[in-house]
Amino acid sequence: MPTRTVTVGSATGLHARPAKIFVEAAAKAPVKVTIRSGDRKPVPAKSMLSVLALGAKHGTEVILEAEGEGADEALDSLAELLAKDLDADHG
Amino acid sequence: MSELLDPRAIRLAEKAADRDDAIRRCGQALVDIGATEPGYIDTMLAREQSISTYVGEGVAIPHGTLAGKDLVKRDALAVLRFPEGVDWGGETVTVCVAIAAQGDGHVDLLAALAEILLDEDQARELREATEPETVIRLLGTIQEETES
Repeated sequence: MPTRTVTVGSATGLHARPAKIFVEAAAKAPVKVTIRSGDRKPVPAKSMLSVLALGAKHGTEVILEAEGEGADEALDSLAELLAKDLDADHG
Repeated sequence: MSELLDPRAIRLAEKAADRDDAIRRCGQALVDIGATEPGYIDTMLAREQSISTYVGEGVAIPHGTLAGKDLVKRDALAVLRFPEGVDWGGETVTVCVAIAAQGDGHVDLLAALAEILLDEDQARELREATEPETVIRLLGTIQEETES
């Protein structure tokens, strides 16, 4: 299964705003994407509550997985998003 | 962190004309308990305009911008319940868990809150809570988890 391991780039972690941006992007992906951290169960990347429940901080490694047509492209763009500091744009 | 949820900041029979009004009430609760400077409320409104803090299950988590962190005197939560519901950009919000946080401690806090909301029974209990004790019992686990 196509997989990407990404280190969370947002300075304050994958909390409210960065999580929302990521979740909205995941919801638009043509394939179902899951996200997990460590040994925990993969959860839907488009579920805000599931993503918040990961409690991923700056520097936390998360694993994205998806299957099907367009999975690689979807994972690439989501991985790029996660690696960025999504808090940087607005104060 | 034991002071995170001050009973005076649990207000379960609130009314708000709209989303901004609800956020102001949340912010005022944080100001009233001495957790933030009054200016924090404006940064909460700015945050909400930048991106909705609606998280699902009828719950929003209003909080300030990064610039507002300087206006936080201590980490705290306020829980405001709007039994009639507040239109939140197309979603209906019944409970606001307003957050004042200085560091990244609130990431753990949000994670713990999300765990509660992912449990349908607990989410419903929070939305229907009329007694502060219920809120303290539900969210009390957050404090334990963030302490560890």
